[in-house]
Amino acid sequence: MLRMHNLSKVYRTQMIETHALRGFDIDVREGEFVTVTGPSGSGKTTFLNIAGLLETFDGGEFTLDGVDVRGMRDAARSRLRNEKLGFIFQGFNLIPDLDLFDNVDVPLRYRGFGAAERRERIEAALADVGLASRKRHYPAELSGGQQQRVAIARALAGSPRLLLADEPTGNLDSQMARSVMELLEDINARGTTILMVTHDPELAIRAQRNVHIVDGQVSDVLRHPASLVEGGGRTATSLQ
Amino acid sequence: MEIRPILSALLRSKTAPLLVAIQVALTLAGLVNALYIVDLRLAASARASGVADEASVFHITTSPVTKPSHEQAMAQRQRDLEVLRALPGVAAASWTNQMPVARSGTTSSYSIDRKQQRPSLLMGTYFAPPGLIDTLGLRLVEGRDFQPGDVLEIDESKDHPDGTFPTTAILSRRAAEALYPGTSALGKPVYLGTGASAPEMRVIGVVETLQTPFAQAGAEGEHSILIPLSVAGQYPRIAVRADRGQRDRAMADAEAALRKMSLAPRVVILRSTEQDRTGRYRNERTLAWMLVAVSGLLLLVTGSGIVGMTMLRISQRRKQIGVRRALGARRIDIVRHFVVENVLVSTAGIAFGLVLGLVLNRLLVTHLQLSPLPPYYLVGGALALWALGILAVSGPAWRAAGIPPATATRSV
Ligand SMILES: Nc1ncnc2c1ncn2[C@@H]1O[C@H](COP(=O)(O)OP(=O)(O)OP(=O)(O)O)[C@@H](O)[C@H]1O
Ligand SMILES: [Mg+2]
Repeated sequence: MLRMHNLSKVYRTQMIETHALRGFDIDVREGEFVTVTGPSGSGKTTFLNIAGLLETFDGGEFTLDGVDVRGMRDAARSRLRNEKLGFIFQGFNLIPDLDLFDNVDVPLRYRGFGAAERRERIEAALADVGLASRKRHYPAELSGGQQQRVAIARALAGSPRLLLADEPTGNLDSQMARSVMELLEDINARGTTILMVTHDPELAIRAQRNVHIVDGQVSDVLRHPASLVEGGGRTATSLQ
Repeated sequence: MEIRPILSALLRSKTAPLLVAIQVALTLAGLVNALYIVDLRLAASARASGVADEASVFHITTSPVTKPSHEQAMAQRQRDLEVLRALPGVAAASWTNQMPVARSGTTSSYSIDRKQQRPSLLMGTYFAPPGLIDTLGLRLVEGRDFQPGDVLEIDESKDHPDGTFPTTAILSRRAAEALYPGTSALGKPVYLGTGASAPEMRVIGVVETLQTPFAQAGAEGEHSILIPLSVAGQYPRIAVRADRGQRDRAMADAEAALRKMSLAPRVVILRSTEQDRTGRYRNERTLAWMLVAVSGLLLLVTGSGIVGMTMLRISQRRKQIGVRRALGARRIDIVRHFVVENVLVSTAGIAFGLVLGLVLNRLLVTHLQLSPLPPYYLVGGALALWALGILAVSGPAWRAAGIPPATATRSV
């Protein structure tokens, strides 16, 4: 689904060069749920942005769903984002002037779907996250957890192949965080590949795989980390 | 199209868009009316005076320092005419009391029946000999020019019996139509003033166009009458037509010649009909340019308003733009978003502006005798403001399209 090999990313400002990623390797298979952890500034967001075609990279290889994305033009990248990717952000990032229905509609309009298909998808996506009855409400009228559910509905309405989430529970209390996590697991169980950055070790170990990034490199990969915890091999906190 | 969500988003934060829409409306209303007034003024200043080739015609006004006797004045006029006609480059010369568009002259009231209580028409009154028609290049459309026998010479210093006045007259077409609507005025009577002793003249000819010296707005400016009355007058005047391209030289030669052969000291002033026209319409032109300048300024201010509003909305929505890009908007989609938004605001403003423009025009029609605004002004104004809006919004919109998609995850 997503393969990076020896990937590097350098941020240049007037004075300094920051090597946000270097020699970065990862291979995410179809249907996986991968969590990404690591200290602040280690390059998690950078990795997710590159994976989501929001930023370009400087060296190495990157294929997304079989497509080599190197040197791809901006319009083609936008198209690929729109068709194959779904995004969930820490700050929800709903558009405050649009109601829930219109928020979920945003990527579908860029997709060019007809009105009937859009309506069907929006209503199904909002029903999936349990907010079908509030489609004419505005984001400000919702709790944080509900807003994030709308964002998930927006990400899913276009049936993406890969869902990218950067600290989706970072702004939520633990109870709401858990319910969002459950929703994501549910989505993953239905076949969507998920890449999720999180600071929450408890959530991180619930995935099939946890990738730990330090200093722009993958330092540690744990498969089925929860089973390790259950087996008493490593504690959740040791992930930090 | 994405009109509905853009519209509902606009309606949720409507203060700035509303102000811009109002600005667009006021600009449209002001613009169309101002430009219409400009057009009317320029059209008025381009109206034909009746003089066939204004670039060739000039006139000479001589003011004697001490009042001459009738005989002296007549003798001087006769010698002036002879000298002028002999000059190379002079095609024709005739005496007259006034010139079209020259801004000084005589207006009198006339009637078509002595028993009328009120006169029928005010007309610019030209006292002219046979040949003035030819000198000015007026086009005779009915009847004939005066003949020498039609001319009546009057010594104003002496008393004359009542009714001593020429018995023939030539009218401008507008005057003939005003006095005798629907029929030919030829052979019909015209009276100077009203009452039992009003002198009677018969219409012997009609010229196509002859403006009064004042060239007033509307038909009034073309109500003129020529009467073959020869008087010395306070300031005798001679109209001269030069050969094509010879006017400036002829004017210089004429001035020198007349100064040399003055029988008594006098002031000689020469003016071309072109100078008269410039002088007559100076205010019109000034007003027109002022209105054009104000209109341009109005457009500039409104354009800046649109640029400002768009930049404000963009800077407030950087994050949102990044999110849209992340969700699959191409750069062009972002540009289109702001252009559509602007077109919606402009359209609301334009709709309101059209109504406002018509109301303003109605006020001008009732209070300033302006004619109603032709619809193509409104159409043109609306198109101009749409174009202005799209032009003004496109710069900021392209800058918005440059906001990186990573803004969705990076900015706070
Ligand atoms: N636009 C940028 N210009 C310059 N440096 C940048 C830019 N974006 C990120 N960096 C740097 O790149 C490095 C990696 O940043 P990144 O945002 O990927 O970290 P992170 O792991 O997501 O951190 P956090 O957990 O705090 O979100 C950091 O040193 C950061 O300062
Ligand atoms: Mg981050």
